[in-house]
Amino acid sequence: MTALLHVENMTHFFGGLRAVHNYNLNLAPRQIFGLIGPNGAGKTTIFNLITGVYTPTEGEILLENKNIKGLETNQIAAMGLGRTFQNLALWRHMNVVDHIRMAHYSQLDYGLFGAFFNSRACREQENQVRENADHLMELFDIEKYADDLVTSLPYGAQRRVEMARAMATNPKVLFLDEPTAGMTPDELVKMIRIIRQVHQDFNVAIFLIEHRMKFVMELCESIQTLVFGEVIAEGPPEEIQNNPRVIEAYLGKEDMT
Amino acid sequence: MEPLIEYFYYILQNIINALQRGSFYAVISIGYSMVYGVLMLFNFAHGDIFMVGTYIGFGIATVFLAVLTGLVPPPVIFLATVVVTMFLASWIGVFVEVAGYRPLRQAPRASAAITGLMIGIIFETTILIMLGAKRLSFPPLMEKVNYHIGGIYITNVKAMIIIISLLLMLGLHAFIQKTKWGMAMRAMSYDFLAVPLMGVSINIIAPLTFAVGAGLASVAGILYGQAYPILDPYMGVLLGWKAFVAAILGGRGSIKGAALAGYLLGFIEIFVATVFPSTLRDFIAYSIILIILTFRPRGFFGMEHSTKLRL
Amino acid sequence: MGIAKKFRQIFSTVPMLGWFLGILTAVLIEYYWGYDYISYYLGLPKIPVLFGALIMLKEPVMIPGALAYDLIVYVIPVLLVAKISSVFTNPGAALLEKLPLWLSAVIHLVCFYAILHLWAGINDYRVLVVKLTLVSIILTVSVNVINGYQGEFSCSHPGFMALGAYVSSILTLMLFTNDKIFGAALLPPGLGPFLFPLVLLAGGAAAAIGSLAVAIPSFRTRGDYLAIISLAFMFIVKSAIENLNIIGGARGMGGQPDLAPLPVIFFWTLLCIWVIHNFVTSILGKALNTVRDDEAAAESMTVKTRKTKMTAFMFGAFWAGIAGGLFAHVLTYINPGMFSINRLAEILAMVYFGGLNSIVGSIVGAVSINVLGEALRPLELFKWIIIPLILIFVMIFRPYGLISFTEINAKKLLEAKHKRQQGVSP
Repeated sequence: MTALLHVENMTHFFGGLRAVHNYNLNLAPRQIFGLIGPNGAGKTTIFNLITGVYTPTEGEILLENKNIKGLETNQIAAMGLGRTFQNLALWRHMNVVDHIRMAHYSQLDYGLFGAFFNSRACREQENQVRENADHLMELFDIEKYADDLVTSLPYGAQRRVEMARAMATNPKVLFLDEPTAGMTPDELVKMIRIIRQVHQDFNVAIFLIEHRMKFVMELCESIQTLVFGEVIAEGPPEEIQNNPRVIEAYLGKEDMT
Repeated sequence: MEPLIEYFYYILQNIINALQRGSFYAVISIGYSMVYGVLMLFNFAHGDIFMVGTYIGFGIATVFLAVLTGLVPPPVIFLATVVVTMFLASWIGVFVEVAGYRPLRQAPRASAAITGLMIGIIFETTILIMLGAKRLSFPPLMEKVNYHIGGIYITNVKAMIIIISLLLMLGLHAFIQKTKWGMAMRAMSYDFLAVPLMGVSINIIAPLTFAVGAGLASVAGILYGQAYPILDPYMGVLLGWKAFVAAILGGRGSIKGAALAGYLLGFIEIFVATVFPSTLRDFIAYSIILIILTFRPRGFFGMEHSTKLRL
Repeated sequence: MGIAKKFRQIFSTVPMLGWFLGILTAVLIEYYWGYDYISYYLGLPKIPVLFGALIMLKEPVMIPGALAYDLIVYVIPVLLVAKISSVFTNPGAALLEKLPLWLSAVIHLVCFYAILHLWAGINDYRVLVVKLTLVSIILTVSVNVINGYQGEFSCSHPGFMALGAYVSSILTLMLFTNDKIFGAALLPPGLGPFLFPLVLLAGGAAAAIGSLAVAIPSFRTRGDYLAIISLAFMFIVKSAIENLNIIGGARGMGGQPDLAPLPVIFFWTLLCIWVIHNFVTSILGKALNTVRDDEAAAESMTVKTRKTKMTAFMFGAFWAGIAGGLFAHVLTYINPGMFSINRLAEILAMVYFGGLNSIVGSIVGAVSINVLGEALRPLELFKWIIIPLILIFVMIFRPYGLISFTEINAKKLLEAKHKRQQGVSP
């Protein structure tokens, strides 16, 4: 079985500081994969390296056997890497429906002049996008906010907008950067349900960073533990839970804080 | 050998001219930079604060010359003019901050920029209305003496401008490094949000910064009046925008950078004029700036642009 | 507040057509009786050009007369006719609603233009004011693309405008006139009006190409540094033109053929508004907003941010170039001094007064600042205290401008109002 997303020996330096060392990943289609680790371990850096925000110093990144290392973030995203952000990255002067519409950017081909003169192709594609957006908003339970500015939404809804937006890019892999950060238990339960549903309905692989062990253990089929930029353990949840090195890393962290 | 020495003197002469010109830009652009450090925005009215400061200096100098000549030696009159002008002009700075910028603390930065521009226009118009269109001439505060050293000519005025500007900058440096207020300003340029938590109110630091900037600009105005005595309500626009450019070139918020870039701008302008016709001065100066900023977008000493600074 | 609400309630049933009819009545009254009867009996020397503002400010004695004139000629007929005619304008509007939206919009616009033409035609000064206002609208909307939608603080617009003005002026002088510099006309002058659009497009294209000098640095930097780069660009264009003696240098360049009568300018203004409206409401145009609000998120959502930035600058500059070309042919004289700091202050004032991220806002801003500027002309210098003060107040109370983040909704604007008689939408 070939991996959907394959990362091999990825290493990255910030200046002289080694942030990620020899990172490997094999993400199968439809897999839910978790990345855990203490603060500052480099989890978000790994996301940023794979999604093209930074270009790794060394290593290979293949998406469906195509090399995506060194491409621009928007190209990588258009090839099928959708993502959310740890601290919500919404567009603050834009309403919800426009967020979802925007994420269809790469799926349009009517061109600038089509936009200027409102060509038939433009109208048709925009209508198509609008329908798709309505569908997505319904799925993520945000249709009642469609015309509201995102900044006026409750926190949980903002998270859902971000996920709906990521799904609108039509991803093959969905990267979730701490999807439950700052959520109440109620919202958390809702989020688990939504992630499951997304996984089922859209046929995507999900790669998520998370702090809450319970959440990861419940959702993920396989988990990596990252400490100081290096993977110290990889395997199914039960195995990780009982791995002495993981326990040490986590307990060590708790001792410090 | 003879032409070579002459050429050497020629260069040296231009260096002195450039230092004089650069002094004005440096002292004014420091005002921009200081405000930037504290409020994270540029005070677009600063050029016109400089202009108003110059007119205040003109008024004070005229009065003092009329009253005090003969009673005290000229250097004392000069000093008194500088001190009184600085004091009065700094209130202009305070006024601009309190009336124009304080109500806009939470507003987008562009709105504050527009407000600054508009305050500037109001200043220009007010001066025009009060004094009419006639061009006033700044009275000389000292007798001009020409020195001829080797092959170069230097007047005492020129020397004084260069020296006083340097002294002002050293004084400012001491103020920022040594005093409590200066330290608060520095802290604020590191972290805009943390300082109010530490018990230093931004509503005191900000007007103080404006005041210091305005005071410096007014001294630059007096010096400018000694070098180029004709006053014009639009002089602030011409010098102010260039000083603003210097402030950015130096790296926003960096006082050292602003001063250096001010001198650099002086050098560019003077030396461009030695090679090319003087009408090309602006063209070449701004082209150089465009190129520098295209390849070094943070200026010389600037910080990385941050996402906080939006619309 | 109570009166305003009452007022709005009464007139909430008047459709756009009704207002047109009201205004048409007012204009006709002015056209036929304005000078012979109304001004005469009110003791006014001539028809007040801009609603009497000039007369009132010049001679305070005339204030009651001018106000009475406004009341008799404008306020009363407009309100009365609009209200009464809503009996039949509403069915009319309902009829038009059955047509496709674009056709209905065209019909409305033709009516509007006819009224404007009639109103402006009363004297040459009015025509000039209307022309310059329309040019300002193009300019302001185009600035809004960069400063509002794209969220950069660009100061280069006078430069773009200058490029458009000079390129189109050179072309028309070369092609259609016997000019001292460029020699005899290369083409029969009669072709002028037909080729003028191409000339304008050339000017716009020149501005768009020039804008690359600002657009390319914008890939790596933004905010203050980009503001300076754009400012430097403006000064470079200005001093480059000053040093080009072949096109008049600092003295400027005159004698452009009068190829920009009111209908032409009106057409270009409409075209500009239509195209920019289409663009900013499309997804490709909304990409500008995503770059402004969060560039990293935009990239992750597949938006090509570099292309977007470049588009915004070139597109904005293109229309500024068009505006410049029209401007040159309205005034039939240009010099580099026209495209400097003062113009910049004026442009920024119009954009930020009207409102960011809004075409309606830009139109309001351009019209208000232009009309205000003309109306306050008798105050001479004091004008330059009053306008800045107004702008400061707007900035303090509405930091994004009067009407920001609002788009034109043609359907709603043109619909018949009888359906909503019961309540007033807030």
